[in-house]
Amino acid sequence: MDGVGHHLAFWSLAVITVGAALGILVSRNLIHAMVMLILSFIGVAGLYLLLSAEFIAVVQILVYVGAISVLMLFAILLTPRAARDNAETAMRYPGLILMGLVIAATVFVALETDWGAVREEPVAESARIIGQSLINEFVLPFEIAAVLLTAALVGAVALARRDDEDIDAHEQSLTLEGREDSGGSS
Amino acid sequence: MSAWLLAAWYDLRDLSGISREITEWVASWGPEWLASAVSGAIGAIGILAVIGPTLMILIWTERKVIARLQVRYGPNRVGPRGLLQPVADAVKLILKEELVPRAADKWLFFLPPVLVFIPALLVWGVLPFGPHMQVADLNVGVLFLLAVSGTNVLAVFIAGWASNNKYALFGAMRVIAMTISYEIAMVLALLTVVFLTGTMSINGIVLWQQQEDLILIVLLPMTALTFLLGATAELNRTPMDIAEAESEIVAGYHTEYSGMRFGLFYAVELANTLVMSAFMATFFLGGWWLWGLDAWVPSWIILLVKTSLVYFVFIWLRGTLPRLRIDQLMTFCWKLLVPAGLLFVAIAAVERTLLLEYAWDRTIALPVMAVINAAVTVAVIGAYARVTGAGAHRAPAGPRMARGRLGGLRAARQLAQAPSGSD
Amino acid sequence: MTIGLEHFLVLGALLFGVGLYVALAKRNAIGVLMGVELMLNAVNLTLVAFGRFVESEVALSTSVFVVFIIAVAAAEIAVGLALAMVVYRNRDTINVDRVNLLKW
Repeated sequence: MDGVGHHLAFWSLAVITVGAALGILVSRNLIHAMVMLILSFIGVAGLYLLLSAEFIAVVQILVYVGAISVLMLFAILLTPRAARDNAETAMRYPGLILMGLVIAATVFVALETDWGAVREEPVAESARIIGQSLINEFVLPFEIAAVLLTAALVGAVALARRDDEDIDAHEQSLTLEGREDSGGSS
Repeated sequence: MSAWLLAAWYDLRDLSGISREITEWVASWGPEWLASAVSGAIGAIGILAVIGPTLMILIWTERKVIARLQVRYGPNRVGPRGLLQPVADAVKLILKEELVPRAADKWLFFLPPVLVFIPALLVWGVLPFGPHMQVADLNVGVLFLLAVSGTNVLAVFIAGWASNNKYALFGAMRVIAMTISYEIAMVLALLTVVFLTGTMSINGIVLWQQQEDLILIVLLPMTALTFLLGATAELNRTPMDIAEAESEIVAGYHTEYSGMRFGLFYAVELANTLVMSAFMATFFLGGWWLWGLDAWVPSWIILLVKTSLVYFVFIWLRGTLPRLRIDQLMTFCWKLLVPAGLLFVAIAAVERTLLLEYAWDRTIALPVMAVINAAVTVAVIGAYARVTGAGAHRAPAGPRMARGRLGGLRAARQLAQAPSGSD
Repeated sequence: MTIGLEHFLVLGALLFGVGLYVALAKRNAIGVLMGVELMLNAVNLTLVAFGRFVESEVALSTSVFVVFIIAVAAAEIAVGLALAMVVYRNRDTINVDRVNLLKW
């Protein structure tokens, strides 16, 4: 990868991705941070394309940009009275120090280790190979992932769902609140 | 039909020859990256050259056809037969003041009209206009289509949020709720197609239809229907335009957008409808292929004709059906389209196994399968109609989305039943 | 200089660090989840880079790993957001430092 196009693509995508991540860090507004996060996801998808992993790139867009960020936006909307700022807790400075240490250690390891033979040409037809190994070598993890997703689905519904009695009581209180003469909620 | 004529750059049946000539010419003197940049630019310019004029015509066509469906004349003052109406519309929109609400989120307010254009243009890149006329023949083309067209919803959400207007936010929330439901139905529909054809490359799907000598809508009627309805929902078109239902929430997510910003939303809506029609034509009507006619007529003209047919169906739906309530839409998606989609994924898997592993004779097996699938489709829709009482006359027992704080029918009923106050 | 494995690894390290900070220091539960997603993305990027540049016995097994990570991330975010919703419903806040009933 030493063509002009590769250099241009890598550096612009790297600036977008890391810049957007830093935007999450400094943004004072939760929705702005969310938009930055989406931009970062898209940048990472572009980097996957650069690494000739079209399947992963498209799945990244489909799952992260299309589903996960929409889910998070939905959650922000469904918590209307919570604070919409993106402030830090008291863990701010310990967090900064830890971040610096982790980055330093990882970069050191990444640069100092001999990673062995370098593959010059990317593997072609990545989607087909991934699909075949999912149902050959990795069939058990695949099934477990399916069970996990089902469990997560059921769990999320069970957590987020309100019982009908709750809703009725809630509506009752609202109805009473709305009337001047009945004086206060249940 | 000699080979040299087919390969010539001036052959109208394969416009990619022009691009190839120019790219080879650039590569002969320039560096490699310049050649690939030039070939990408040619593709982009070609797509823009298709979309731009087509949009202008579509605005006129849509208004005219809807008017005819509703027994009106439609635009007929500007230019001959009102043909210059889109130009007049555009001039009006450009001259209008572009208001920015004082309470709006300034940065995010400017983004969405531009953002919605990106997926609308990107998906054209994987649409095959002919055997070689495709900007990028990705081997994950179907997934690319789903992923990119799904990001549309983010721009809509940002528009609704940044306007700081409750109707805009309602519109945005409705869009999200509806899109993530109908996207599942669409994924299942395309999964069925991918199962049967055995490829995720969009050109590969067209080639499969060419090879089997049949268009997929015959083999998978329910899947085609699901895709059509899922596309309608994703495009926010009537009867599924609850996101911008003007009788309920003003104009939904673009309530606060005026002037050309609104114009951009409007143009993107049409462009998206056009591209979805094109993909519907590609997946289910054979794309650029038409039983050998593509050897004589330019393949892109065949595709455009099929696209117009599907587009007409979209306009027809819009002119005929009333808008649905959100709970009706959700019920329809989760109780009919998704289960039926799952059923057809299973059926497609069985049929593919029979064709490939057991090597059934295709000339006999495919018609039989088409009949079976059509029968299952009729049975599924009939069962749904029977179970839900065919819809219109049967109201749900209670409101499903508008609950709790939002009020809804139950709260209203309780309010009416409670004894009146002291006054 | 050619773009090699190290470039992607350093980029992944930077992303992971920022994600770690966001996950540790943000007050809003949804902000914390954003940090977690960022970290997962960094790990995915690193894995895909290894799959591209390093010879392995099973081709693209790293990409399969990434697919699993994405699936688990989707499950995690669904449950995490549902938890945030429950906390919000009971306490009217999703600030993680105010959800401290079990702390002392």
